[in-house]
Amino acid sequence: MYNVTFYLRRLHSIAGLVCLGGFLLEHILTNARVLISPASFNSAVDLLASIPWYIMLPLEIGLVATPFLFHTIYGIYIAWQAKNNPQHYPYINNIQFFLQRLTAWFLVVFLAWHVFYLRILVKGGGTHISFQLLQSYFENPVYWVLYLLGMWAAIFHFCNGITTFCMTWGIAKGPRIQQVINAGAMGLCAFLCLVSLAFMAVYLM
Amino acid sequence: MAEQKMVTFIIERQDGPDAKPYTEEFDVPYRPALNVVAALMEIQKNPVTRDGKRVAPVVWECNCLEKVCGACMMVINGQAKQACCALVEDLEQPIHLAPARTFPVIRDLLIDRTVMFESLKKIQGWINVDGSWKVHEAPRQNPNTAATAYEISHCMTCGCCMEACPNVGPQSDFIGPAPVVQAYLFNINPLGEYDKPKRLEALMQKGGITSCGNSQNCVRACPKNIKLTTYLAQLNRDVNIQAIKNIFNN
Repeated sequence: MYNVTFYLRRLHSIAGLVCLGGFLLEHILTNARVLISPASFNSAVDLLASIPWYIMLPLEIGLVATPFLFHTIYGIYIAWQAKNNPQHYPYINNIQFFLQRLTAWFLVVFLAWHVFYLRILVKGGGTHISFQLLQSYFENPVYWVLYLLGMWAAIFHFCNGITTFCMTWGIAKGPRIQQVINAGAMGLCAFLCLVSLAFMAVYLM
Repeated sequence: MAEQKMVTFIIERQDGPDAKPYTEEFDVPYRPALNVVAALMEIQKNPVTRDGKRVAPVVWECNCLEKVCGACMMVINGQAKQACCALVEDLEQPIHLAPARTFPVIRDLLIDRTVMFESLKKIQGWINVDGSWKVHEAPRQNPNTAATAYEISHCMTCGCCMEACPNVGPQSDFIGPAPVVQAYLFNINPLGEYDKPKRLEALMQKGGITSCGNSQNCVRACPKNIKLTTYLAQLNRDVNIQAIKNIFNN
């Protein structure tokens, strides 16, 4: 009657690209500060921590946590309705479709762990996040690898989301512009994956 | 005389809508330009499996034999194709045949495509010409949109795009690429345009265009080369505009 599905779908699309994508880019920017120096990263974290909680908390809940939960729950419902078939139709867009859902499943588990441990348990418990803390955390190679995979999964999911966003909103109509946008998004994906590999490598040194 | 070359077919069969599927293998004598429908006709004449067992002939559907009617769509080596124009020499052997399980299977390779007709009714896949008003002469077609309309009107509801689409099937309520794009065909018709908001409203419903996941398999699977993804993007644009109208006009 009121086209609820339509608005939920479009909200899912916007929440993913704007809120989650924006938060991912902020994450990469802050984390990439270790490439300058660990001290630079610490000052970036301190700057974020200096925002008073009565401003930060509503922002975190309104612009990050709520869109995140909505995108996750509705996304699970969407992913459930797909019968992935790249084994029969090994076309690039179909493989991306499959990877979009594969990374989504991985991210649900990874982010639940990441957010629960680092944001709620460690930071929520009053511990100050710093380069030194993360370095000792990443001494476990399993954590390091899982975090790198988590970064890559999130980056791919976001970049592929740019392409599908342009199709879903009717921005890119013909095959040529769709290919150009896809190539650009995958280029961005490769670049951001390299950046995250670089800043993750600092913790090993 | 040279030895007769044989082509092996591995066919997924099913005795009834709720029966358990099983496979049977058949050998068909090869001849130049043999296609899958012709091979199925050979099996029908002599339904003996490779291990010599006489079985019920394989059931399938076909009609025009020239890629116009869409009836003989089946899954050939994993991909949805028209069996009548699937040449044996282009296919990897042994050739695997299976019914398109996106649709309910009636028997063997025969499927029930009623859902596509139901979807065409949902999107109002027709033009209203009968009424109490005077019809006058038919309005002129824009030659540019007429070319697009001609292209989309080639759709024969074969269901290749439906089978290839990962979002169409028993697990989802997506009506599929073919019926969605038919809405565009009637939207660009000078008379059909009058009902454009109605069709866009239908596409905004559950299982409508929003269920598209952009895997773009449909455009590759379409045997009539209809630019499905282009028209899906155009319809996405149209429904978004319609949504804005709905918000601010009411």
